[in-house]
Amino acid sequence: MATVEEPRAAEALFIRPDGKEKVTGLGRYTADLNLTGQAHAKLRYADHAHARITRVDVSKARALPGVLAVLTHEDVPDVKYGGMVQDRRLFAKDKVLWEGDVIAGVAALTAELAEQAVSLIDVEYERLEPVVDFAAAEGAPLVHEDWESDSGDDTMGRDGNRIGYSTIVKGDADAAMAEADVVVKGRYTTDCSQGVPIEPRAVIAEWHGDRVTVWSSTQVPYAARAGVATVLEIPESSVRIVVPLLGGGFGAKCDFHFEGHVAALARAARRPVKLVFSRREEFVAVDHRREGMVIELETGAKADGTIVAHRGRLVLDKGAYCGEGGFFAQMAAMHACGPYRMENIFVEASLNYSNTQPSSSIRAPTAPQTCWALEQQIDELAHALGLDPVELRRRTLIEEGAEGPTRQVFEKLGMKETLERAVEMIGYGRELPEDEAIGVACGWWPCFGAPSGAYVQLHSDGTGTIITGAQENGTGAVMAFPILVAEQLGMSPGDFSLLYQDTDAAPWDMGSCGSQTTFNSGRAAIAAAVEVREQLLDAAAAKLEVDREDVELVDGEARVKGAPETSVTIVDLVGEGGPFHGKGSGDVPEAPECDAEGCVGRLGMESFLAPQLITQAAHVKVDRETGVVRVLKVAAAHDSGVIVNPMGANGQVTGGVVMGIGQALTEGTQIDAEGRQRNPYLLDYKLTTAADAPEIEIAWVETPTANAGPKGSKGIGEPPCVATSGAIANAIRNVIGTPVRQLPMTPERVWTATREGNQ
Amino acid sequence: MRYQATLTVNGIPYPVEVEATASLLRVVRDVIGLTGSKEGCDDSECGACMMLLDGRPVNSCSYLALQADGREITTVEGLAPGDGLAPLQQALLEAGGVQCGYCTPGMLISATALLSSNPRPSEDEVRVALAGNLCRCTGYTNIVSAVLRASEGHPAGTPG
Repeated sequence: MATVEEPRAAEALFIRPDGKEKVTGLGRYTADLNLTGQAHAKLRYADHAHARITRVDVSKARALPGVLAVLTHEDVPDVKYGGMVQDRRLFAKDKVLWEGDVIAGVAALTAELAEQAVSLIDVEYERLEPVVDFAAAEGAPLVHEDWESDSGDDTMGRDGNRIGYSTIVKGDADAAMAEADVVVKGRYTTDCSQGVPIEPRAVIAEWHGDRVTVWSSTQVPYAARAGVATVLEIPESSVRIVVPLLGGGFGAKCDFHFEGHVAALARAARRPVKLVFSRREEFVAVDHRREGMVIELETGAKADGTIVAHRGRLVLDKGAYCGEGGFFAQMAAMHACGPYRMENIFVEASLNYSNTQPSSSIRAPTAPQTCWALEQQIDELAHALGLDPVELRRRTLIEEGAEGPTRQVFEKLGMKETLERAVEMIGYGRELPEDEAIGVACGWWPCFGAPSGAYVQLHSDGTGTIITGAQENGTGAVMAFPILVAEQLGMSPGDFSLLYQDTDAAPWDMGSCGSQTTFNSGRAAIAAAVEVREQLLDAAAAKLEVDREDVELVDGEARVKGAPETSVTIVDLVGEGGPFHGKGSGDVPEAPECDAEGCVGRLGMESFLAPQLITQAAHVKVDRETGVVRVLKVAAAHDSGVIVNPMGANGQVTGGVVMGIGQALTEGTQIDAEGRQRNPYLLDYKLTTAADAPEIEIAWVETPTANAGPKGSKGIGEPPCVATSGAIANAIRNVIGTPVRQLPMTPERVWTATREGNQ
Repeated sequence: MRYQATLTVNGIPYPVEVEATASLLRVVRDVIGLTGSKEGCDDSECGACMMLLDGRPVNSCSYLALQADGREITTVEGLAPGDGLAPLQQALLEAGGVQCGYCTPGMLISATALLSSNPRPSEDEVRVALAGNLCRCTGYTNIVSAVLRASEGHPAGTPG
């Protein structure tokens, strides 16, 4: 168990090592790279969301001068791949299952020629009824007719269009509900939404004999390596993934996919091939969006606020393929319970296939929507009980010794402290104009323990290099590794360079997902540094002819404790001896014990490791005549354990809150009856701008936490967008007097709720 | 049909031969080889491609290269004096206004244009000036701080 040993240092200026190349425009992102002789790729997408392919004719495309390769499923191994269920092929074979399904890929001398060739591919279909209403997918035509033959995780509870089913069961919710003094019910629906990194994805592949190097804007290079190896049936050792600077991900770049197409095209074209997505493709063709949901909740409490019973029924839209999002049913079920003490629980969550874009991890998958619903439910419960919503939360939030939804007994955590800090910062309870109000929401998110590995080596001049499998998507998490390593060695962060995002260089890593980079990859970097520290101490003890237990590493020197004049510089040590190099992984923290015997669909989320805890309070202004909501201020209080890099951590909160505001108010993908996206452009899918973004005040509740990461840290990246929508929803409700039960809470929906509430 | 033009980018004249339909962004990135300006949407919605044209910010994705013939173009690569950094660039790093960095070139162009026309902007003026530049990482807070920090009369060394 790692705990905090000492208060963190005062906030220090932190200039990220990749900063200079980013502000000068000299840094290279994938789309900025060009290889000599490269060809350009375009993909042919499905013309319908659900159809049987009866004929594909690529002869005209192949005959177009300047076209180097045209590939369909016939030209690559017949392999099905996917995260927890292997339900997908590189190129559609018998059916297309959503509008972004890839039927063919073209490589040509120019992007324009490739585009022209794509349009010359003749595809004939037998159209099938698309399953668009995911909540009614059970009983609808099968999205995957051969689902039973798809290999996959048996614990998911797959059954036809239902790819996953999970329950959280504690006590007897039915009996307890009958005994409750007050019961509130709510039904909430959410549109799907998008990650929208500002960098559209790009992939370049080049073969060297039987080996392929792929430059890709991926958050998960090791998953991309495994994917390329799987679909092309080549060894992983024949695949190298390099990630140039990555222009944001937010989960949207968290799965293997297009690297396979481009590698196959480059092999066929016998030259490097480059694929760059348009913004429209970044909406329509990527297999990653935030899932739409239907959330039904029923909560019963005693008059004093004790939550005696909580029932929930959730349906999540998986879209056409599993990808890495197969765990969503259980994750959503946990978030439907939230960080509350609830005596009896029955929550069931179904994850359903549909003929729309696949849902996979977008920043805290399932949490913002579920939290948005639950937090409105908690406010409704407070109103029904005649209690202030903050007071109800004071009485029911988890604390040390409390039991979670699966009887996980929490050790020390700062949940309630985040509540108090948030309401203090927002000025809860003060008088406001009648069109303004404050809303509060609480949430949580687990840390994910995963293996990782790193190397640290020192050079002859006393500098060093950290080689990590970790992935830098922009958060700065990897950029802070020199701080962690230097501290172990009595050196300066500026002494270290970083080698990262190259699968040939470093051990496997999960990637920049799950808020896990500092937690796991940081732990590995420290472990590697500790090995180097031991080597330095041995060398110093021999050199100084003292007991190694008496040697410490401080300020670039190895010196005798209490006698600092007896010392040798690290520069001298590495210059004379060595080599000094270490490798490390560290011990992966184990998930806490719980009692989930009665739960089905258990996929590892039934207990929350080192939970990250959130309270956000939003101050909003609502124009009742137009339904337009303006967020004036957000107060965000987080327990993410000890903060390693305050500037970076604050940046995660401000960015997450603003992303959360978009998801709350303006960001929703509209899907028509044919399963097509109606607004795949930034003009119609509105991100929050600088002019709309509010003041954001941040407080860190740095709580010593069991099984925390390096220096007592927990994750940071995902929680900031978890509670924002709920806080805004409750604030809107406090202005208009009625909940808005559809997400995003667009002006039309707010206006409609206002009218209906007044009737 | 291709046309001759001379694009003067960051003070260097580049004779180019371009299609009439080629955007300024395409020519600067693909022909001249300056890739600092980014394509985020190709539709004037995200601002990642912004350049200064005779000192005024434009979305170069939606500007024809031929329209820039004979005019002064400044890209992000032209902002830093010599080996150093412009005050805005330095402020952006010190304030933590850079995360993934993909919006950064466009942000710097917008902010440079703002400070040249309004050396002492208010926070609201900064936010409005940057409203055409989408950032998904930072929530804008630290970018706005950086612009204020780099503005005239701001006490040096204190966070904006």
